Amino acid sequence: MVEFLQTHDLGGDGLLTAYIIRRLLLLPLILFGVSLIIFSMMQVLGPDKLLAAYVNPNILDKATEEALEALKEKYGLNDPMIVRYTKWLRNVLKGDFGWSLVGKEPVKDAILERLPYTVELALYAIFPVVVVGIWLGVIAAVNRDRFLDHFIRIFAVVGWSFPDFVFGLLVLMIFYSMLNWLPPGNLSNWAEEVVRSPEFHRYTHLLTIDALLNGRLDVFWDALRHLIGPIMTLSWLWWAYLLRITRSSMLEVLNKEFVRTARAKGLPERVVINKHARRNALIPVTTVGGAMVINLFAGTVIVEMVFNRTGMGSFTASAALQLDYASIMASALFYSTILVLGNLIIDVLYATIDPRIRLG
Amino acid sequence: MPEPLLIVRNLKTYFYTEDGVVKAVDGVDFEVYEGETLGIVGESGCGKSVTSLSIMRLLDEKGRIVDGEVIFRGKNLLELPEDEMRRIRGNEIAMIFQEPMVALNPVYTIGDQIIEAITLHQNVDEHEARKMAIDLLRKVGIPEPEKRIDEYPHQLSGGMRQRAMIAMALSCRPSLLIADEPTTALDVTIQAQILELMKELQKEYGMAIILITHDMGVIAETADRVVVMYAGKVVEYADVKTLFNDPKHPYTYGLLTSIPRLDIEQEKLKSIPGVVPDPLNFPSGCRFHPRCEFFEKGKCDVNEPELVEVEEGHKVRCYFWKKVDETKKMEAEKV
Amino acid sequence: MRQETKRIFRRLFKNPSAILGFSLLIFFILVAIFAPLLAPPVNSFNPNMKLPDPYIMPVVSWKQDPIPPTTKKDVDPQKLGREPIRCIDYHPFGVIGGRDIFYGVVWGTRTAFKVGIIVTVVSTLIGITIGSISGYFGGWVDEILMRITDVFLSIPFLVAAIVLTTILGVGLDKVMIALIVFGWMGSARLIRGNILQVKEEQFVLAAKALGVRDVFIITKHILPNTIFPVVIQASMRMGSLVITAAALSFLGLGAPQGYADWGALLSYARDWMLEIGKHWYAIVYPGTAMVLFVLAWNLVGDALRDAFDPRLKG
Repeated sequence: MVEFLQTHDLGGDGLLTAYIIRRLLLLPLILFGVSLIIFSMMQVLGPDKLLAAYVNPNILDKATEEALEALKEKYGLNDPMIVRYTKWLRNVLKGDFGWSLVGKEPVKDAILERLPYTVELALYAIFPVVVVGIWLGVIAAVNRDRFLDHFIRIFAVVGWSFPDFVFGLLVLMIFYSMLNWLPPGNLSNWAEEVVRSPEFHRYTHLLTIDALLNGRLDVFWDALRHLIGPIMTLSWLWWAYLLRITRSSMLEVLNKEFVRTARAKGLPERVVINKHARRNALIPVTTVGGAMVINLFAGTVIVEMVFNRTGMGSFTASAALQLDYASIMASALFYSTILVLGNLIIDVLYATIDPRIRLG
Repeated sequence: MPEPLLIVRNLKTYFYTEDGVVKAVDGVDFEVYEGETLGIVGESGCGKSVTSLSIMRLLDEKGRIVDGEVIFRGKNLLELPEDEMRRIRGNEIAMIFQEPMVALNPVYTIGDQIIEAITLHQNVDEHEARKMAIDLLRKVGIPEPEKRIDEYPHQLSGGMRQRAMIAMALSCRPSLLIADEPTTALDVTIQAQILELMKELQKEYGMAIILITHDMGVIAETADRVVVMYAGKVVEYADVKTLFNDPKHPYTYGLLTSIPRLDIEQEKLKSIPGVVPDPLNFPSGCRFHPRCEFFEKGKCDVNEPELVEVEEGHKVRCYFWKKVDETKKMEAEKV
Repeated sequence: MRQETKRIFRRLFKNPSAILGFSLLIFFILVAIFAPLLAPPVNSFNPNMKLPDPYIMPVVSWKQDPIPPTTKKDVDPQKLGREPIRCIDYHPFGVIGGRDIFYGVVWGTRTAFKVGIIVTVVSTLIGITIGSISGYFGGWVDEILMRITDVFLSIPFLVAAIVLTTILGVGLDKVMIALIVFGWMGSARLIRGNILQVKEEQFVLAAKALGVRDVFIITKHILPNTIFPVVIQASMRMGSLVITAAALSFLGLGAPQGYADWGALLSYARDWMLEIGKHWYAIVYPGTAMVLFVLAWNLVGDALRDAFDPRLKG
């Protein structure tokens, strides 16, 4: 908790509402700062390269010096940075992120189209991460230094050491190439056709849920089959991390006096662990666990590329490879917003769970 | 003399650490009778807390009771299976700890924690238990108990938290309460209140108390009989009046004379020289000999003295307790 | 102090995972040192000529398909006209993208160390500087620096690195810059927190009372007491840093194609995913190297942390 108070300034009175208000006020400031950083990074490129975001590169190649200058003037690339930034920011706030080379449509549409796929993947991945990570973490802590603990910890360290793309490649190698159980992509071709047909209603845009709502169990299973590999890969790194955090938090709590008091009351060990210790141990875990869940989203960049899936992740990676600056900036903003919002939710959650903070 | 409520016989508790074996409790004997207060006094590290934890069998992983008996109402607690021991904990023998802030679970209300203790050992429903909890809080002197019962530990002051702990411990009317330094972390004025409270409750509930402390003043206030511990062993054992008026162990004598006094002239404050011995490496023979003013080479550093009953109800572990008597007489004559 | 150091060392080496970690690390260090011997950096057509840049893997096969592993015995020295040279004439780990995998793994070790150490050291130094100033001076300096840190932390690491490498262009040095620019925040926060705790301690107040200058107080009194957790955190970051750098190369954003980098090596495998079961060696060998490398750093970091802070271990 000391750490929480150090990294989060609760302000003079420490009341929860004051805290939430303060964080909400900071939110636009932080996003503003993020947009500034991202925009500034782009300016390193210089007006010549930036032109490529607005004009077809083929035309640029053949253009003369004067033509290039004229184009630069037209798009205001010679203006001072403040002017350009405010113009860009105004557009962004209106919802105009520019044109996406990758999607061949406005960036906003490109993102909205791909977002549901990534959300679906990330949401599903949260469960194995949280459930397995916390469950194993508690077991490891309770059985400290015995065989089970060592086994779990070795398992976790290896997990934490596995780069996600290597794991993904291995999953594809074994389960796709060799066994043909889990193919890459979002859907098989036939399922793709079903989804695109007019009878299929996209209620949520999440493939699995929509398949169920449309009564197509076959599409549901197909979508799920395509999700298993990516979910395994996405969660692999992170459940190991969550396990470590849970375990060390649990160990700290088990050393605390009130655990001894609980035993002195005559409570069975099971109750001491699950009721008294675990609740306290999970408090710091929520902050870290929360941050990690947010990073799951970032991990989709790799996983979607490896498994050839549509989504924000592969969109971002493709944009990077094709030097689609407008898309990259929008992606970066998107991911940052998720992170900032997610952190806020986590912090508020943390403050509500711990009565010491909630009631000051 | 009626049968003692609790008999501790040759209790030995060792800790197996990576630096070696720590013989925290190394052969401790005492009895506790119904309704009385037994004080266990000694410097930190002498093993008094470990003794109480051993009685409750609440040692952590590294500690093990290697020898001895703890006989409570005729049953040896050390031989009981765990689930029977659990029925005794919090129910017939209760324990309160030094720092109530860390000894109470911060994420549950004190009401929750007291009710938990009640419903664990007694056959009452939640509603009934809540009423009992409020009554208990009132009895321990917490104002507005109906409000306080839903508050969290951090919302109460130190003294009130300790009262809440006491309420929780007494919720099942134990016959023995073990209080491990219950007032050490509190303000002096609150200390007195808590001790008063404990005495009242003891009379009302007719329970025995083992009071563990390093403060001789607290012993004088509350104990009926006293165990003085040093380096894992009992060095003196007597009723409180005798102990204060006629201490026979050099250590006890040193403890008492080092208390500053206002009624006589003292040029220098007396203190016991040296430091508490390293528990991994106790001195040979009598463990107190390096600090003892009555030390005699060849005797004290070779064989450890036995705990001997020198008068009725007064035991000492020292070869030269008579020398202590003489010194006392000399000091008395000077004044 | 010596008792304490002795105890720390004893704890460090009693731990089997620590021993494993250190052994792996030593193994990799040896591989890195002896890279020229293990995988001779010579021109594949004229083995007497040394490669101008050993980090650009030589093309050893013009065939499209990957070649499974071959050993020395598979080569006929008579036909060849010389002693078979590893990686040129026979391929212990196979060939992919026309390049010897063993060569890539061996020289990739050097790359991994280079990237890992440089990025960790520089970003930690930056973090320590910023965090120290922030923690020590407090007030609005602290507020501003911490808000800046918050903003930097608000962009997911991988995404930020991707954006920066896209802008800066292809190349390992660009990757390193990107990782440094977005990698200092952890150390900054950590040391700031520690400083906030230590600042109030008696011996610092005593030094201030004596009139010691702020800079000296920071370097001589505060830092030595707060540096260990930062060192430990840095060693634990090594692992994820190498993973991120490799991920960037894998995507094609980091090291250029043909560079001796594990991530770049693995990116070749993407072209052969349909039949990757047949070409398992393209994934397994570089992948194993990566996992073991990161594992080594994680184990070492764990061991260091357990040795200095045994509360958590017991």
